[in-house]
Amino acid sequence: MNAIAGGAKSGRDWHGASASGVARAVREGEARVGEIVGASLARIAGTDSTVNAFTDVLAERAMARARSLDAALGAEGEAATALRALPLLGVPFAVKNLFDIAGIPTRAGSIIGLSNAPARADALLVQRLEAAGAVLVGALNMDEYAYGFTTENTHYGPVRNPHDTTRIAGGSSGGSGAALAAGQVPLTLGSDTNGSIRVPASLCGVFGLKPTYGRLPRTGSYPFVHSLDVLGPLARSVTDLALAYDAMQGHDPHDAACASRPAEPLMPQLSGGVRGLRIAVLDGWFSDNAGPQARAAVSRVARALGTERRLTLQGAVRARAAAFLIGNSEGGALHLPDLRARAADFEPLSRDRFIAGALLPAAWVNQAQRARLRFAREVAQVLEGVDVLIAPATPHPATPIGSETMEINGARLPTRPNTGLLTQPISCIGLPVCAVPVWPEPDESGAALPVGVQVIAAPWREDLVMRVAAVLEAGGVASAPLARL
Amino acid sequence: MTPEEIEAYVDAAAAALALPIAPEHRPGVLAYFALAAGYADLVNMQTLRPEDESAAGFLPVTPRSSAT
Repeated sequence: MNAIAGGAKSGRDWHGASASGVARAVREGEARVGEIVGASLARIAGTDSTVNAFTDVLAERAMARARSLDAALGAEGEAATALRALPLLGVPFAVKNLFDIAGIPTRAGSIIGLSNAPARADALLVQRLEAAGAVLVGALNMDEYAYGFTTENTHYGPVRNPHDTTRIAGGSSGGSGAALAAGQVPLTLGSDTNGSIRVPASLCGVFGLKPTYGRLPRTGSYPFVHSLDVLGPLARSVTDLALAYDAMQGHDPHDAACASRPAEPLMPQLSGGVRGLRIAVLDGWFSDNAGPQARAAVSRVARALGTERRLTLQGAVRARAAAFLIGNSEGGALHLPDLRARAADFEPLSRDRFIAGALLPAAWVNQAQRARLRFAREVAQVLEGVDVLIAPATPHPATPIGSETMEINGARLPTRPNTGLLTQPISCIGLPVCAVPVWPEPDESGAALPVGVQVIAAPWREDLVMRVAAVLEAGGVASAPLARL
Repeated sequence: MTPEEIEAYVDAAAAALALPIAPEHRPGVLAYFALAAGYADLVNMQTLRPEDESAAGFLPVTPRSSAT
């Protein structure tokens, strides 16, 4: 038994390690799970008073699991060998607090949620990540009931962008993005209905994967919009995203929207490159509503991929409107009982929007759903002639916390609803997207803050978006450095 | 919709749903309804054909012990 297995510490600083690096180190006996999880918990304790990414830190649960894994790894035999093969062995991870965690009420960013009974079981995706060897360390701050793009949560405080703590982390999975940028964990889970994985990934400078609608089961997570909700991973590397995604794939009949498709592992395909792929930059809506740094990020990505092709999706603005109506209506209807009984307990920044949503005429919502399918079919025709589409993930880098308006190419718009105007048309029709973080080049003016670029493909083609993301990462165009906290 | 039409609709729809709207929430509700009405105008401008089905589909639920 080597010194590490015997309890000695490795002496390494783990807070910047990747998930794949952690798993390799544990597998090869360079570090114990207890050391790595302990380092994560220490990093959270040392930084979260500034970042406010976490609402629940599950230190006891995490260390108990770490001890259990270390004991099993120290034993001889097939069980230990099987454990060492787990792809996320010893990796600390955290989840947006709309994922069920056994024994605690599911907040979903609210205080109303605290009145619910504790969850009886972990969410299915949490179970699958732990089955792959990962260790849950906590639950993450979010916009209440996922209805926001900034994670300025009145109940729990705003999540602060680790790269500039006066600025937002994005939302609604703000804690999921910030915990990565702060080096608190190497892997998080978020949800995305209109942009809630892609926006925090963009603003916090990390990678985020929004899979195809219906790909990953939502079993054991609190919903926002059944017609649009998607769950997915965020991480500081493409490999880590792929490892997590592969561990979570598989049909579950308890999610009515989960497609009955076999798992399609990404890891073997990551090195596929981009040769032969037809790639185009989205113009029109996606350019008109992008500020200078967002456009520059897209240009860098396009140059790196060797494409000058531009393409306009007719109907993008209508798709965004349709997504708004569907989300507003379904979200409002879901919360109608609480809106009747305790409206004052809702997040002030979204309560009135939920009430209005509950009142929308059915004819509007029906028309929106029909327009949505029509747009999906039109884009499917476009995708017969192109493999990958590129667009900014947000109009700008992170805005100051509390910002009420922002300027986009001469127009002054409300910040909060419009931070997601580039993500909504894409999620309206369920396409898979990897948001890759792009930083300003040294000669660009402005603060050194990242802005994400959406890499988009046809349904079920997560392999294409991730192959492109891998090329951009390898070429240094996309990167997720730790924030200096 | 005019502001007066929005107010009349919101009041009537809220009553139909037994959804009380506190006076301090009313201005926000009216503003967000107006925002939604603008989005509805965009969506409603598109002429759809009868064959343009809803994206909200339903799949019948098979019992676990379904006999073949």
